[in-house]
Amino acid sequence: MKFGNLVIAGIVTGSIYAVFAVCVAVWYRVSNILNLAVGDFAMVGALGVDNLYRVKGLPLWAAIVTTLAVVGAFSYLYDQVVLRIALDGRRQMEGIVVTFFFTFALSFFIDGVAKMLFGTDVHAAPALWNGASLSWGSLHLERAGLLVLACAVIIGGAFWVYIRYTLGGKALEASGENAVGARIAGIDTKRYRRLIFVGTAVIAAIFGIVESPITGYTYLSGATISLTGFLAAAYGGFRKPGRALVAGLAIGVLEALLGGYVSAEYGDTVLYAILAALVLAWPRGLGFESAVTQ
Amino acid sequence: MTGLSGFARRTERTGLAGLDGLTGVSSRLPRSLTPTAVVLVAGAVIVLVYGQQYTGSVFVLAACYAIVTAGMAVQIGFSQQIAFSQSVFMGVGAYGVAMLNTHFAMPVLVATPIVLVGAGLTALVLGSVVTRASGLALAVATLMLPLIAAGYVSSAGYLGGVVGAPLTGTLWPSSASTSTTVIAVAGGLIVVIFLAIAVFVASRILTSDIGLELFVLGVDERTAAAMGVRTPRRKLELFVLGCVFAALGGAAYAGTQQFVPETLVDPTSELALLIMLFIGGRRSVIGAVIGALVIQYLQGASNWVSVNILVVEGVLLTVVLLVDPEGLAGIVNTGMAWLRRRRGAASAAAGPAASVEALAGDAPSAAKAGGQWAAGHVAPAAATAAADGGVAAGTPLLEVRGIGKEYGGLTVLDDVTIRLPERGLFGLCGPNGAGKTTLLNVIGGSVAPSRGTVILDGEDITRRPPDERFYLGISRTFQAVHLIKGRTVLDNVAVACLASHTSSIVTRVMRSKLDDARDKAARTLSDLGMRGIQDREVSSLTLESQRMVELARALAPNPRVLLLDEPASGLSEEQRHRLAELLTAFGERTCVLLVEHDLDLVAQVSERIFVLSSGRLVFDGGPADFRASPVVNSLLVGR
Repeated sequence: MKFGNLVIAGIVTGSIYAVFAVCVAVWYRVSNILNLAVGDFAMVGALGVDNLYRVKGLPLWAAIVTTLAVVGAFSYLYDQVVLRIALDGRRQMEGIVVTFFFTFALSFFIDGVAKMLFGTDVHAAPALWNGASLSWGSLHLERAGLLVLACAVIIGGAFWVYIRYTLGGKALEASGENAVGARIAGIDTKRYRRLIFVGTAVIAAIFGIVESPITGYTYLSGATISLTGFLAAAYGGFRKPGRALVAGLAIGVLEALLGGYVSAEYGDTVLYAILAALVLAWPRGLGFESAVTQ
Repeated sequence: MTGLSGFARRTERTGLAGLDGLTGVSSRLPRSLTPTAVVLVAGAVIVLVYGQQYTGSVFVLAACYAIVTAGMAVQIGFSQQIAFSQSVFMGVGAYGVAMLNTHFAMPVLVATPIVLVGAGLTALVLGSVVTRASGLALAVATLMLPLIAAGYVSSAGYLGGVVGAPLTGTLWPSSASTSTTVIAVAGGLIVVIFLAIAVFVASRILTSDIGLELFVLGVDERTAAAMGVRTPRRKLELFVLGCVFAALGGAAYAGTQQFVPETLVDPTSELALLIMLFIGGRRSVIGAVIGALVIQYLQGASNWVSVNILVVEGVLLTVVLLVDPEGLAGIVNTGMAWLRRRRGAASAAAGPAASVEALAGDAPSAAKAGGQWAAGHVAPAAATAAADGGVAAGTPLLEVRGIGKEYGGLTVLDDVTIRLPERGLFGLCGPNGAGKTTLLNVIGGSVAPSRGTVILDGEDITRRPPDERFYLGISRTFQAVHLIKGRTVLDNVAVACLASHTSSIVTRVMRSKLDDARDKAARTLSDLGMRGIQDREVSSLTLESQRMVELARALAPNPRVLLLDEPASGLSEEQRHRLAELLTAFGERTCVLLVEHDLDLVAQVSERIFVLSSGRLVFDGGPADFRASPVVNSLLVGR
């Protein structure tokens, strides 16, 4: 039952990638900016709750609420100060390249602050659902893994419903497709950009809290998470949250299988080589060209 | 008259911050030698004075990184080919030197060129695969490189794994008796020389004719190809260049630090390099060097700053980009331009009136200009050939035969056959979606037909890429204006005059042909009566002027076939009149295929008109038949 357990483990890791990929894709869709800092919000969520609960002695619920409030307030402030000057100012930033580096700088900043506040050790938020791992015959699933899966399903589903069936979702899509046109049609594109930026930051933080008991985070974990989310989003053409979700799951399962059957040591190397080959062999199919040219 | 002389009255130059020094006519040689000299002298002084101290060692480390970022300024900043390959090739250089030194007892200075050649060949093989991708696909595909390399290096025992690889050799060949001061200072000087070479090559490339090509490539790959830029080759060359610079930086790193940490290749190092580039100024070589120095000094400061370097880098990058997306170099350029303006304002009080007068005299009406242009260019023998008029006479210059094109299940072109002679103006009309632009794209080479052949002067060119067709004499304009923002009118036209398709990226390091191209462009602009606007940045022009610049760019290389896609759209009645006179002049000189919605304009200037409807050729005849044809009237006029 090695295969079954590997697939389960792969789905759990994959759902982590998937959620971050969805966060990256949704915000790209509304703002045309790739958010490389989304994983850092997850790290802040996990380490923040851990610090407040374990070191400062706050009750768990208070620690979670405080952390999420800080993440929300900070991302709101960042949008109001930096993104507003960068994107809505007199001299608008050209192209995908420069705007990309704002979230890049944000990621460095958050990591640096986290290092100051939380130190360099591996920590995790306390497990929200204690107990032995769940078993069906020889298949095993950690309770935290089940929570991660549940969160992924809820978050992915909520985004899907929002974009597909609500007026807000349509407006969001319009903002990204053609910001000027959307504004003419009376859509407050800045509001949607801010809404999704703050929303994805808080979602990432929640996810970090739920997931960290499985892997444990350091102040540098955010970049790795963002990177994998970014990759999965890339395979979803950056604009398609649904495809990003599937891509995230697929990458997780592939990673687990390669690690289990090919080589624990070189599994990731092989995975990245496969992913690179996919981009080169099939750029149009993966939606890269549409993401770039328009 | 009003339009063109209008340009002349608005001649104040709008220099673009960050590009200053590249936009103007730079016939002065020191332009590209100055940074090299500054780096060489300042670097040598710092090494000689601080060589054996901590400051000196930080400077040398920074210089190693600066070699890498100088290459990145060309590849990533200037040409916008975002490939995350630098940290990996820095690792190739550093580990290569370390391995040759440790296992074969090879001196570092001997190992360095060997490693550079190896890195170049590796980059060539790797690049020929990855540079087939563009834009984000290139970025994502190469993003895997540091991930793969980091995984490989940390588990490869012979490279030292997570411990890293130490070296016994130093950059300056040393024995046990050599003093550490000599090793540090001489090694530092060698690194400074490496850096000066890197800066020289990089800044020469940017100021050469190839630099202009690379700029266009960075802005829009499709336009670049239509202007004769061999995009696949340039992209590969850029990739190899970036990798070789990175390997040189890595070799210098190994030789001076005498240790290669495994973290050198991982994504974090790649990010650190990008931060240096963007803080310094992505499109400026000297900015990239400054960026590396700034970051390394902050990291080596041994105080609060270096402990919290991530916070400092994050804030610094955000603030610098908010002030100027061109980084520190852009801020300095803006400041210098401001100073120059202030100094200039005082001294040039009498200047403007005289210069406007001179320019106004320089700008004849478009009709007159077009006449001059034709008169100046038509070869004597041409007159008889043009008099034939008939399309069927003689062998056609351009022939599209049985062209079909489908997108999915949608037929855009269906068995279209057109023959055009050497000279004359031919209209191509049809309702929206009839396939006019697609046909132009098939002739220009940016769209491959599903069926049929394109023949130019008896040669089948159906499979030739757009850049080759450009050099065979097919030139075009675009429906939406495709000018290169951030460059002057002169440079926009000069792009089409470069004729650098056979030269490699480093060929022109010693002798640029940019001035030749600019001269040719200036002549074309002058013939068209546009000399007054040649130093204006293109996005500051009116739509009519922008369309005129596009026409000038298409004409400048003296094409045999000129493809014009709706040159009159967005122009006023009066402007259209001027355009019509100009087009007539073009038709006397060369073969022009004009796609246009303005039927009066087409009927006025064309000697023969083709009408497409739903991808099929439904009319083919002279202007008189065109006006009378019931097919045309029902399709295009609605009668």
